[in-house]
Formats: sequence, structure tokens, C-alpha cells
Amino acid sequence: MKRGSFLGISLYLIAASIIIFLSVLLFKALIPEPPQVEVERARAAIARARDHHSEVYSPVLFREAQNSYDSAMATWRSENDRFILLRNYEQVISFAALAEKKANEATSNTISRSNSLRSSLSSELSRLQQEMTSFEKIFLAMPLPQDLKKKHARGKLLLREAEIDLRKENYVNGSVKITEASEYISGSYNLARKTLEEYFKNYPDWQEWATATINESRRAGSYAILIEKIPALCHLYQGGKKKYTFEAEFGSNWLGDKKSRGDMATPEGRYTITKKLSGSSTRYHKALMINYPNKTDIQEFNERIRNGQLPADARIGDMIEIHGDGGKGANWTQGCIALRNADMDILYRYVARGTPVTIIGSTLTLEEFFASRVH
Amino acid sequence: MKNRFFLVIATVAVVALISSCAKVPQAALDAATAALDSAKTVQADVYFPAEFAALNDSLTVMLQNIETQKSKSAKDFKVIKDNADAIAVKAAELSGNVEVKKAEVKAEAETMMADAKTLLDEAKALVLKAPKGKEGKAVVEEIKNEITVIETSLTDAQTLFDGGTNYMEVVDKVKASSESLNGIIAELKEAMAKAGIKI
Repeated sequence: MKRGSFLGISLYLIAASIIIFLSVLLFKALIPEPPQVEVERARAAIARARDHHSEVYSPVLFREAQNSYDSAMATWRSENDRFILLRNYEQVISFAALAEKKANEATSNTISRSNSLRSSLSSELSRLQQEMTSFEKIFLAMPLPQDLKKKHARGKLLLREAEIDLRKENYVNGSVKITEASEYISGSYNLARKTLEEYFKNYPDWQEWATATINESRRAGSYAILIEKIPALCHLYQGGKKKYTFEAEFGSNWLGDKKSRGDMATPEGRYTITKKLSGSSTRYHKALMINYPNKTDIQEFNERIRNGQLPADARIGDMIEIHGDGGKGANWTQGCIALRNADMDILYRYVARGTPVTIIGSTLTLEEFFASRVH
Repeated sequence: MKNRFFLVIATVAVVALISSCAKVPQAALDAATAALDSAKTVQADVYFPAEFAALNDSLTVMLQNIETQKSKSAKDFKVIKDNADAIAVKAAELSGNVEVKKAEVKAEAETMMADAKTLLDEAKALVLKAPKGKEGKAVVEEIKNEITVIETSLTDAQTLFDGGTNYMEVVDKVKASSESLNGIIAELKEAMAKAGIKI
């Protein structure tokens, strides 16, 4: 009886163990597999995108990837709150796959965008450096508004900041700075160029006056003075041939014709020497007075008063001379033309009352002038 | 009767097995998250971006592992608790390092600003002695404009420094100004040497 009872209990235990074992197996088989691998792949892809700075270079794609990952995690958490056998991770897997895809797209977009930013940043840097150099070669000595020159200087500093960003591979910041630098540098360059283009509209007159002056000198075998404001030169012609060239300085507001007294501009036109001054009769070593204002100047002055370009009480300038005391490295006169004393001595020696003096902007065209300055 | 008794025991055992009562180490997790938040507050993401990103990533992995464990019938959060504790410790260390690094960068910014001011004074003094040959005055005027712009930029850098938000930005800004000033000084010295002017 005892043996029979023991056998019975053993059989029950074996049966119970088998039932438990099978139940566990069945239970395990019914538990859905967690989406661990898929979510981990998504996380790794996002980490890779972050390492490439996709937050900066591909913010939209990166944000989409991050959102999809967050959705995957939220869905996973919510599924885990359900009864274990009722969980369904399909949506988690789908969100994770989308996150991985977007993150990979962000990475590849970032690589190409940062490459393209780097290349455009370096080419824009070199373009602006060239433009900056051109500005300095062409416009530095011109009486342009101080504000314009300050803008150029601001652009120059921003360009250096962009250069530092490029060195530090901070292309987005660099691009922002280069855009700002471009506004300053290109803006001041374009404005300065426009001012000069406006000035060069007088070129046909200058060319006509210069040709006539040289031809007259050739015909009469006499002396003539041709003054070019842009290259700041004073030429002495004899018999139509250039005999001497001197550096010259003008009024501080020399870009343009003289319009009224006190405007610090040097007149443009065809004049003659009316008086030769030396010793105590001049403050500037030696001087050659010219017949400014001539008839044309007076007509133009009156016309400007009539059409309101000048105030009614404006007065026309006078006492324009070619004189000494130059060589200051600046345009400092009130409208006269200043030469170094040694040059003035030479000029003074050759010319006489009646010698023609023609003052123009330039014998070169605007394009020729640019080319001469840049190369 | 006995048969039924064993079935009940078996069922209870299975249920006990499947609803293993291991708990998420919420306190450790909260501590890790709080430590990372503190690190961000002290700008660990600015001064140690790679280290901060790595810690953030560890937290993300840990959250994934929690869900992985929760998805299982037999849960084990021991490793996760250890990870959370480690993250909290590292985040606290990072916060401490940020303070040190911040102090270093602040000192660097201060030195650079002082050096830039010295360069600015030198450039201003040299510009007064600059030669005035052909176009010389125009060049001097241009340099004066540049110096004015640089001075403004250094004032901006000082404001940024006083704000104390990002000393690294101050360093970059001052570096650009110093490079420009060094360029100006070199240009002026070269022109003065050519003109035979003693410095």
C-alpha cells in the first residue's frame, strides 16, 4: 500500500513537472520577441548622425529621425504595459526602421552638405579676398564716403572670423559670417564702382579735351599741361610729346568737377595760365594761377543755381593754382593742384602765361583703369 | 483530488515565473537623468560636447535595456541599476570638469583680450608714425578705419565675456581681432622700415 502510494505520488509529480515544463515552453513560444535589435540599430544610426553634426547640417532629417525613435520607445513602453501575451511590437519596429532610415539620410546629407559648405565657403572666401584687394587697390585713395570705407573694414574683419570658422570646420557659422562679410565687402565695392562709373560718364569730354590740348601743342610746337585726377599725375607736353610727368595732389573732394566755392573739389576743363607767382607772392613755393572760372564754368554754375542743384546763396570758386608744397601723400588742397617743390621748379621753368592747362579725370577708360590697378 | 492540487501548484508556479516581480530601478534612473540635466545646465554640451553626447547616448541605451528587460518574462534590472549609477557618477564628474574647463577658457579669453588691447595700443601708436608717401595718407585712413572696427569688435567681445555665456565664442572673436591687428602692425612696421622711420 505504501509502495503503491509512493509510486502514485511520483507519477503525479512527473506529470505535474511535464505539464509545468510544457506550459513554460508554450508560454515562452507565445511571448513576442522584443524589438531590441531594431531599436538599437536606430539608436546607433542617430548617434552616428549626431557625430557628423547632423543637428546642424541636416536639422529636419535629424529631428524626424529623433522623433521616430522617440515614438518607437514610447510605443515599446506602452506595449510593455500590456499583458505579456497580448503585446505587439510591429509598430515599434516600424518606427525604429523609420528612425534608422531618416538618421542614415541625415548622415549622408550632412556629409554632402558639409562638403559643399566647405567648398563654397573657401571659394567665397577667396572671391571676397580678391574683391577686398581690388577695392583697396582701386578705391582706397578716392574721396568716397567714410561710411563706405568703414563698411569695407567691417567686412574685412568678418572675413577673418569666417576664415577661423573654416579652420575649425565650423562651416555653418562660417557661412553666416561670410554672407555678412559679403554684404559689407561686395556692397561697398559695388557702391564705389557705381560712383566711379558715374564719374566716368564724362570720359568722352576728357578724351576730347586731352586730344585737342596735345594736338594744339603739336601744331604750335608749344608747351601744354595735362592733369589727370584719377592717377594723380601732371604731364608737361612739348610739341605734342610728353616731356615730364609729376605726381600731383588735389582737393580733398576731387572726384568730380568743382561746383562751388568751398566744396574742396578740383575743377575739370580747359584753362590757361594767367599768372606766375613766386617768392613772397605765394605761400606755396611757386604757383601758376589758371583762369578758373572760365565761361563754361560760370554757365554751369548759373545753371546749377537755376535748377536747384546749388543753393541760391552759393558762390563760385576762384584762385585755382598749380602750386608747390605737394608730396604730402594726401589730397589736401582746397581745389588747387599741388606738386613737390622740385617738380614745381621744373614746371615753372618751362611754362608761361597763356600755356594751356587741361584738367581731366583720366586718359584711360574705366575698364583700362580697373585693369591697370588690379594687375 | 491530489491531481487537482498539483495542477494548482503548477499554475501558481508558472504565473509566479511569468510575472517575475523585479522592479525598474527608478531612483537610480532619475538620479542619472538629473545628473545629466545638471551637466547640461552648466554647459557640458558646450565645453565637452563629445563626452556629453556619449553620456546621453549611454542613458538612451539604458532606457532601451529597461524596455528590453520589461519585454522579457524573467526580468533583471541589476545591470541597469549599475549603469544608471555609473552614468550619474560620470555626469557629476563632467559637471565638475566643466567648471574647471570654463575657468581655463575664461582665463584664456581674459589673457587674449589683454593681449589684443596691447596690440591695439601698439597699432594706434604706429599709425601716428606711419609714412605718408604716394597714397600714404589714404592707406593710413584705411588702417584707422580697420582699427576702429577692431576696437568695436573687442568691445563686443568684452560684453560677451561679461555675460559669461560662452567664453569659447569670446576666444574666437578676439582671435580674429588679434590676427587683424598683427597684420596691421606688420604692414605698418614694414612701411616704416622701408621709409627709414625708427620704431
